[in-house]
Amino acid sequence: MERLSRRSFVKIAGAATGAAALAAAPPIARAAVGEEEGQPTNATTGVPEEPVVAYVRSVERGEVTVTSGTAEHTYRDRALVRRLMRAARREVR
Amino acid sequence: MSSHREAPGISQDPVADNADVYAFVSPDDPTTVTILSNFVPLQGPAGGPNFFEFGDDVLYSIFIDNDGDALPDITYQFQFRTTLQNEETFLYNTGPITSLTDPNWNKRQLYDVSVIYEKGRGNGNGKKQHHEQDGTGKVIGSDLACPPCNIGPRSTPNYDLLANAAVHQLPSGETVFAGQRNDGFFVDLGSVFDLAALRPFQNLHLLPMAAAPGVDPLKDLNIHTIAIKVPISMLTRDGSVPSDPLSAVSVIGVWSAASRRKVQVRDENGNGSKGSGPWVQVSRLGNPLFNEVIVHIGDKDRWNAVDPIDDAGEFESYVNQPELARLLPVLYPGVFPHLAGYTKDRADLHAILLTGIPAGIVPGFQNFTGPRPADMLRLNVAIPPTPAGSANSIGLLAGDAAGFPNGRRVFDNIVAIELRAVAGLTIPLVEPSYTPDAAASLLEDGTAPGAGRYQSTFPYLGTPHDGYHTPSS
Repeated sequence: MERLSRRSFVKIAGAATGAAALAAAPPIARAAVGEEEGQPTNATTGVPEEPVVAYVRSVERGEVTVTSGTAEHTYRDRALVRRLMRAARREVR
Repeated sequence: MSSHREAPGISQDPVADNADVYAFVSPDDPTTVTILSNFVPLQGPAGGPNFFEFGDDVLYSIFIDNDGDALPDITYQFQFRTTLQNEETFLYNTGPITSLTDPNWNKRQLYDVSVIYEKGRGNGNGKKQHHEQDGTGKVIGSDLACPPCNIGPRSTPNYDLLANAAVHQLPSGETVFAGQRNDGFFVDLGSVFDLAALRPFQNLHLLPMAAAPGVDPLKDLNIHTIAIKVPISMLTRDGSVPSDPLSAVSVIGVWSAASRRKVQVRDENGNGSKGSGPWVQVSRLGNPLFNEVIVHIGDKDRWNAVDPIDDAGEFESYVNQPELARLLPVLYPGVFPHLAGYTKDRADLHAILLTGIPAGIVPGFQNFTGPRPADMLRLNVAIPPTPAGSANSIGLLAGDAAGFPNGRRVFDNIVAIELRAVAGLTIPLVEPSYTPDAAASLLEDGTAPGAGRYQSTFPYLGTPHDGYHTPSS
């Protein structure tokens, strides 16, 4: 993602509510706040044709970057970062 | 090497390793320019059963700047995909390959070519980008076949027929080829990386050995070439075919690059990986040896990731005070006294590598693109090709203005040219009172291209070595 664009996204996301930011990243939002929140599971399919990937860019700043297709957007969402960090420490049974 | 395995990161990623770029007015078709960009270096011809190929997950790009701002005005993009005809064999081919559609040829590559025009031309978006690599250009060629690798007399009995069939004329006017070729670059690798020894002069080295002829380890190796021939009128800023070498319109800047998706998600069941996110540049190349010899090792990966427009500043300082110019007097004691005493910034190298040579320095010649320092090959398309019989592989330094650093031809002796320039031979271009050391005009590594290295027609690099005959014993 271009540096300027990323900054502008962070700026926009920082001014928005957490819900608005999650709405802009539906795959992450669904995984993070759905009925099965926090429940470890085994993957049931292979890698999707166009994987949507989210990674924590900065725990301190609460930034999550989402890649999809050839696009990349970075959001500020401290609650989502906390959930992802909690999930990262869990083992899948 | 020119840029083979030149940086720590890309040395681990051969299919994305941009090893050479050439740009020259086509000698057999002088209304066109040919650009070659090489990848997958140091191929042992016998490297089966999975012979060498381009990366399906790599975006290969060739950039042309025609207005001197170090930003691409035209970008050609190449993307490949590999197909298997028969999964029930371990073989690359199950019989002789006699055509590009031969059912005996099991593992094939096809590719698409796209073009992006900036500033509102063609498919452009009317806005110049800092770095345009989003893989969304206008497709001008699709499902184009690569030739197979050259395997041996049983598998590829008439290789040139296959290679010629893989030269594609595009409806938009370009001619393209992508596939294995003979690596045209020649250099005594074993010696130059042994403390910058040049075998013909190593009796004068700090750690002396008897002088000896050069040895070229690349002479038996292949490479993968992306070649494109473009009418000059499609490359210049005003659509003209310039005839005045001193006109700014006559000069284009050329470089190329390889990019990978930002994220790769690997399938745990061996079904490959899938990419996600924007393309991230992992290799680039303009002038030969720039990243290899000029840029310091701690910055090489970063240099590969940024663009020519980012070369001002730190990378520029490497050109102004090149490490090799300080090493030569140390490694060859007493041979370079004038060079040892020259401590000014190297304005000559700055011009050759970063801005082009302005008019008024070499009579009748210039390839100046403006003051913006950027590593690009700079080609003056108004300089006609020098006939083969009178071409000089030392290029402009030997009075042959059709050769490097006016673009780069396949046979230009890059090692000798750049050694001589770094050793001070070109300082008088900007400082006439400087007298180069006598050795500066003699430097070479003692290598020369042998027979079959090149050919007189597109794509100009010779037939790749086949694995049956190479090595010969």
